[in-house]
Amino acid sequence: MDKLLSGRRILVVEDEMLVLMMIEGILDSLGCKSVATAATVDQAVTLIEGQPFDVAMLDVNLNGTKSYPVADALTARGVPFFFSTGNTGPMADGYADRAVLRKPFMSADVATMLTELLPAN
Amino acid sequence: MPTIVRKTHEQKGAEAEVESFEKRLGPFVVAAEKTRMAMVFSDAKEPNSPIIFANDSFLSLTGYDRKEVLGQNFDFLMVDRADAEALARIAGEFEGRLDGGSEVLYRRKDGSEFWAAIFISPVHDENGDVVQYFASFVDLTKHKEEKAHSQMLIEELNHRVKNTLATVQSVVWQALQANSDPILIKESIESRLFALSRSHDLLTREKWGSAGLLDVLLDVLKPFEVGNGRAERIVIKGDNVRFPPQAALALGIAFNELATNAVKYGSLSNGVGSILIESKIEQTPAGGRLMLQWQEKGGPPVTLPSHIGFGSRVIEHGLAHALQGSAHLDYRPGGLVCTMNIPIPRVKQDG
Repeated sequence: MDKLLSGRRILVVEDEMLVLMMIEGILDSLGCKSVATAATVDQAVTLIEGQPFDVAMLDVNLNGTKSYPVADALTARGVPFFFSTGNTGPMADGYADRAVLRKPFMSADVATMLTELLPAN
Repeated sequence: MPTIVRKTHEQKGAEAEVESFEKRLGPFVVAAEKTRMAMVFSDAKEPNSPIIFANDSFLSLTGYDRKEVLGQNFDFLMVDRADAEALARIAGEFEGRLDGGSEVLYRRKDGSEFWAAIFISPVHDENGDVVQYFASFVDLTKHKEEKAHSQMLIEELNHRVKNTLATVQSVVWQALQANSDPILIKESIESRLFALSRSHDLLTREKWGSAGLLDVLLDVLKPFEVGNGRAERIVIKGDNVRFPPQAALALGIAFNELATNAVKYGSLSNGVGSILIESKIEQTPAGGRLMLQWQEKGGPPVTLPSHIGFGSRVIEHGLAHALQGSAHLDYRPGGLVCTMNIPIPRVKQDG
């Protein structure tokens, strides 16, 4: 599983500084060297438009703004992704089918969910 | 919208009935007319129980004129007159089966909708036959709004708790990554949780709208100012630029790292060093930018740290990312200098 993640280009969209740093740490320990991060919708969309990603992890609430435009940009480019959220309710219409990682989360679940979304080589 | 018919024979009859009604009941009718609870009487002897009396409160609640109301069927205000469940609840009210009042969605003359609880009581004559229905309406608009608001607050609180747990998880995770000594692990977790807690207090005082840069600084530095006349050795200059909650929390954590470092190794680790925290705003075509400098002097000679610790990662990487700007640590011989260049966020600023 660790092997599968190394060498993959991963986008992490998260506005909580410490949570983001932990996710980066988890990914680093899994051998992911190519991790791009964004804290806002604009930042994330700019990144998605500028470079290819293999998989993404997307916080639903970015400083009070819903990140659905980022989800749409990822979908439009066929980038698999899952949501992370501190909410317990259902996702908005149109996004209910996506995998969701609820905060706080197990380190191992981050790896599992990313791996499951990646096409097997 | 209900169609208002011209005065029919029935309506004239109903109006005559109201008159006799007023004559017979005198002061009670005046009371019913003037009470602030919206109420109507309907004629139980006629099919569909047409309304024969409506008080002023009812008219102001619904926006109709009295003549538009009299003679109408009882449910003419209902938004969905085919709502079987609501009709069944109202029927239950009529039959006296319910005593809590039924919540029904009604529509005013201007088309706006409101929720009201309806209470219906039959009025009997001497023979025990139901001659009238007396119905009162309690406007639930405010109640519904408050309910929706408190539901929103609960969801917001839940979201915040979960995010805070994730933040705590991160603090613990990072402390365990950086140290193997249990005492150091404990210290670093405590120090960061207290810093987070103080920033939370500040944001709570600000109703989680935003927080000022100077307030964040003062809150974070407070515990470090105890003893050694440190308060006088820390000078803060600049505007109280406001940041949204997430950014304010990130700044609080970053300043806590800087202050911790200053007390352990920097200009607050001896009796004479000082810190100048100075910020100014620069206008650029893309908007204002905050240029902040944390400048230490008079401390012991500065040595470059042997490894990149949590503090420097928070400042140079985490903070720069969270605030979409840049932040650098410069270990100058005369004292540590931390420079931040951050866009001023689009939140309501003071003044």
